[in-house]
Order: sequence, then structure tokens, then C-alpha cells
Amino acid sequence: MKRRALWSTALIAPLALYGCGSAAGPDSGGGGGDTLVVWDWKSGDETAKSYIEQAKADFAEKHPGVEVEFVAQPFDQYYNLLGTAIQSGEGPDVMLFNGGGQLRDRTDALLPLEDYLVEDMERLAGWEAFTADGHVYAAPVTLQGHPIYYNKALYEQAGLDPEAPAATWDAFLANCEQITEATGADCFAMGNKEGIGIQFFLSGIGPGVLAPAEYDAWIAGERDWTSPGVRRIFELWVEAEQAGLNNDGVNSTAMFNDEFAIFDAGEAAHVIGLMSDVGHWKDFGEFLGAENVGVMPAPLVNPGAAPSLPYDGGIGYGVAEWTEDPELAADLVRSLSSTKALEAFYADAGAIAADTTIDASGAGPATAAIVAELPTGKPALHVALSAETLELMGRLSQQLLSGSVTVDDALGQLAASDQAG
Amino acid sequence: MPSTSTPLRAPVRDRSGTPTPRRRVRSGRGAAGRSRSERLAPYLLVAPAALIIGVFRLYPLALGVNFSFTGDGDRNGQAVGLDNYTALFDDPLFIASMRNVGLLVLLLPVAVAIPGLLATFIYLRVPGHRVYRSVYFFPAVLSPVIIGAIFNLLLAFDGPANALLGAVGLGPVDWLGDPGIAMYAVVGVHIWATFGMALVVFLAGFATLDVSLIDAARVDGASLPKVVRHVIVPGLSRTIQFVVVTTMIGMLTSMFGLLYVMTGGGPEGSTYLPEYYIWFQQGQMGRPALASAASTVLFGVMLVVGLAQIAVLRRAGRED
Repeated sequence: MKRRALWSTALIAPLALYGCGSAAGPDSGGGGGDTLVVWDWKSGDETAKSYIEQAKADFAEKHPGVEVEFVAQPFDQYYNLLGTAIQSGEGPDVMLFNGGGQLRDRTDALLPLEDYLVEDMERLAGWEAFTADGHVYAAPVTLQGHPIYYNKALYEQAGLDPEAPAATWDAFLANCEQITEATGADCFAMGNKEGIGIQFFLSGIGPGVLAPAEYDAWIAGERDWTSPGVRRIFELWVEAEQAGLNNDGVNSTAMFNDEFAIFDAGEAAHVIGLMSDVGHWKDFGEFLGAENVGVMPAPLVNPGAAPSLPYDGGIGYGVAEWTEDPELAADLVRSLSSTKALEAFYADAGAIAADTTIDASGAGPATAAIVAELPTGKPALHVALSAETLELMGRLSQQLLSGSVTVDDALGQLAASDQAG
Repeated sequence: MPSTSTPLRAPVRDRSGTPTPRRRVRSGRGAAGRSRSERLAPYLLVAPAALIIGVFRLYPLALGVNFSFTGDGDRNGQAVGLDNYTALFDDPLFIASMRNVGLLVLLLPVAVAIPGLLATFIYLRVPGHRVYRSVYFFPAVLSPVIIGAIFNLLLAFDGPANALLGAVGLGPVDWLGDPGIAMYAVVGVHIWATFGMALVVFLAGFATLDVSLIDAARVDGASLPKVVRHVIVPGLSRTIQFVVVTTMIGMLTSMFGLLYVMTGGGPEGSTYLPEYYIWFQQGQMGRPALASAASTVLFGVMLVVGLAQIAVLRRAGRED
């Protein structure tokens, strides 16, 4: 037995002296000649069927001989699988991305697309989330944002005017108190088990705190984590919990989908939700009735702020750097964001499509309010952060709620992570 | 049997009728050939196993150790010395995951005692022991994902567990949201889910116990705790060692599913285990080299734990 231990040590010891090769393999491979492989997590959904069909038809018209194969991956494993594929240099030709950090962390594996997509620049919105270092890496399919939804029925029960939500934070707190007293519902539905609650809070409440100049600087990458505004947002995160605005057990409530279920059930008056996919106007409307779902701008915490709708490109298709025929793959990306395909996606999946020419006025007051805000909207604050900083922020936000870290300490750690990344 | 089938040894008669011993046909060269093939045979037979271990175990292991000395991202493929290890031990998440390994080792006696105690009750035929025998084994057939989902519901802040506590006048506990409690909750669920196997092993051990010893102890007036302490436990020492080893391995290697479903490493990173950390860095953060370094450290820890267990088992074996 001792000899065996010596053997294993002897086998491993010389290896410790070297650090050659690479953990991520060399670049090579890709789809075959007349087949384009697409990876996403959408094409398997029943609601996305018509969208995929429209896109396929559009592409088949332009390139009749080319086969397109959609591989639907499970979303919770998607970036894991994609990361492995990228490291081996043998992945799909075209792949779906969430805008922001997930895409920016992988631009090494992606092809700049701005030259292929010139004609779509005007028609589509949400490019910033798919842009890094001046290059566009994907074409937006949906827009994703973080409107503050409120339950109009609860407002009415509490004797408040459902068409006039609070414009300032103080008025908002007063309304919440009144609603809780009258209906027993919490002010916010909040789930931070995955550490995502803070991201929505930052982007949802932030526009009411940061003055436009600071907001724009933050998005541009000049982030001052010690500024009074940023500090105030994180203080509000703690204060909201301490004042009992949230539902119980925030750190053990999953945002997807326990948080949204609380709002659906009418147990909370407000939720910072999404615009597309899940936790959005369509989901809420199904439970509460579309007429009872309102959208309000962020309440003003700082009089100098000018709240706008925080949104970015939600999901978009990009082209792998190793694909054999970049032009062909880029054409498929164009088909996947064509007006007809996006119209089908909007109608069936309830996504706010990236195409600004689609008419969305018929889908209830919440949708109308969101679409009306699109022209003045700005990128969401958290989308500008790297995946690593977001992960750290998730963990710190849980510590802030349990009181095991101070706001100053948390901001210090975040600033260090943000500057390192 | 016809005589033609045994021509070598059987004496054959020649024409004159006198029996003569048949000469051996094998030449010296043939004998040498056989001994060479006999010499090579064991190597040939071992080769598939050795190749499989070499190609699919040792080589990837060596690659992993090698990669742990290279960089991630921009520094992909460059030798970075011990940078990954420095980053690893500076990362509070990794430290927390190693601390949790220590916690698992400390909780090992509990994980072994529970099935041992329950098996003892079944062996001593408490009322309803037949029912318990199958009921206790039932969770072992469920997958960790299903168990995790069930306990996510049970342990939710507004779930049945807290409702029960509320009914007896105790405050609600944030089972999966309190960093001081979450790890214990997950380990508790893991023990609940897996103790059935250990229970079966214990019952098999009991089957080999000498009943007359227990009867003799009872006749001499020994109480139940004394019977357990002085008759049953010594008689089961080999079984207990086996359960200790398998339970330890189970705790260190198969908690991923539960962690993934129940806590996702949270809250505050308090339920990370090295396995989960490796998965997270490699897949979610795109840092395979750092993940390789973490794997290497985990390998080292497992090597130490494994060798320690082998040593303990060998010493115990000698006592028998």
C-alpha cells in the first residue's frame, strides 16, 4: 500500500514542474459544409415554434441548398455547454446569447458582425448589449428590460388611484404602507436565492437615484462605486428589507419563479420584472388580468434623477469565429431577426421584440406603457457589469440582507472586482 | 474413453507386443516458446486494464495537473506558475468550500450512527420492524434532483416545515436562506436520502452476529445499552468500518445534485463544496485553468483521506 502511494506521488510529481499546453484547446472545427448548426434554448419551446419556422423559411428563400439544424439546449446548462464547446473549438456556427456580460466574456469566440448587419441597424433596437469594444457580435431578437410592475387591483382595494402610481420614493413608501394595511400584501415581491434580486433592484430602482450624467458614465464604463448615488441604491436595498417591504425569506426565495408567483397571487403589490420570456406582462396578465397590470417609472429618490425605462437587447444570435462561411452564417442571423419572424415571436411567446416597426399597442396597458418608453429608455445598470462582478454582487447582496457585511465593505469589494474585470 | 485420445502418456505396444514408453515429442525449442508465452501472458492479460487506467485515468489526471499551471482567458496556454493556486486560496468561495469538506468529515459519525441505530432497532424487532425496513430504504431509490425539489418545497420559508414549527409556537427558520443553517439542512437531506443503503449493509452485518452471545448477555442481566455497547458494536466492527468509508465517499462525491437543486451554492456562498466550485469556475465563469487547480487540490485532499482510511482499515483488519 505504501508503495502504491509512492507510485502515485512519483507519477504526479514531475508534472508539477510543467505548465504547458492550455486548458482551453486550440481553435478548430465548426459545422459541416452545407449545414449550419444553431444552438439556443428557445427552439424547443412550443411558443417559439412559429418564430423558428418563419426564420427558417426566410433563410431557405435566400439559400435553398443549405440545411439549418437547431439544437435546443437546456437553459440552466447552456453557458456551461457553450463554454465547453468554445474551449474545444468545436461548437455551433450560430448561437444564442443573453445580452451583456455573458456575450462580452466570450467575444474571443465570436465574429464581429457590423459589416454584415448594416441594413438592420435602423430597424432593430438594443444593439448596445451585443456590442463590445466597438464591434457588434450579435443581432438582437428581443428586448429585455426591468420595468416596475404593480398590481392595480391592490391599489384600488387600498383606496389609491391605480392610474397614478407614486412619483417619489417617499410617496411610494406611503402607498406601500397603505396597501399593506388594507390588503396584507407586501410592497415588493423579492427573491434573491440565486443572487439575481439585487441585479433587478439595481436596474429597476437605480434610474430614480442616479442623475443622467452619472447613469450614462456608469454605462460607458466609468463607474464610481463610492458616489453617494450608488451608495444610496445599496442602502435602499438594505432599508427595504429592514422596513419589511419585501416578502419573508428573500434569500431562500427563488426569483424564477417563486418571486413572480408571489406577485401573480396578489400577495405583493410591486415586482421588478422582465419585459420578455418570463416574469413579464404576459405572465402577470394571465393571473391578474391584463387590465390590472400596471407599469410605473422608478420612483424619484434623488430629485436630480430622470427615470427612464432600463432595457437592453435581451437575446440575440451571434456567429462563431470558427464557422466556415461567415457570410452564410450572418445571413442566418439576419433571418432570425427578420420582421416576420420577430412578429411571430412577439405574438406567440410574449416577448417585446427588438424590431421597432412591430405594432404592440393591442396587448394591454402594461405593454403599451413599455413600448411607449422604448424611445427614451437606456441600458440597464447591471447589464454593464461583468459576469464575475455580478456573481460577487449576488453573494454580497445576500450578506447585506443578513447583515454580515456593511454597505461600505460591499461597495469596496465590488469596486475592486469591477476594476479587475 | 478411446485410447487414441490419450496418446502421449499411455504406454503403447509395438508390433512385438512389449510395452515401450512413448518418447516425448516436444523439442527443446517448443518448451522455450511456451515458457516465453507464459511469461508474457500476465502482461497481456493486465494490459487492457492498465491501458484503460493509463489512458482514461492517469493521463487526464496528468493533463489536469498540467493545465492548473496555465492561465485563463487572455493568458490561455501560457505557463503562469502558481498563480491559479494563489488565486484559489485568496478566493473566499474556495476557502468556504474546503471548510465545508471539514464540516462533512465532522458530521460523518452522525451519518453512520443514524443507520446503525435504526438497523439495531430493526434487528431487535421493535414493533413494526418489517414496515420500517422497507420504508427506510425507500428514499435511496429517488434521484437527488427529485429529493432536492421535494425538500425545496418542504423547507421553503412559507413551507410545511415552518408551518409545523409555527404550530408548536417556534419561530420560522430560514432553512435554505440562512448561511449558518443551509449547509446543515442540505447535509441532513443527504443523510435522509442515502442512509437506506448503509442500513441494508448494517442489516447484512447483523445477520452474521452470533445470537447466542446476545442471549447470554441478556441472561446475565445486561441492559439494552450495554448489549449494544459490549456485544453488538464489537461484533459489527468490520461492517461499521465499511459503512464509514462508503458514507465518506458518498458525502464528498455525490452532493452536487442536491446542492445544485437546493441552494445553488448559496446563500452567501455558504454551501459550496469543491465539486460545485469546480463546475462553477469551469462552466459558468469560463476559467478552466482555475478549475483544474481546484480539481488538483481536491484530488490531493481525497488522496490523503483515502490513504488515511486504508490505514485505518488495515489496522482494524489486523486486530481480527
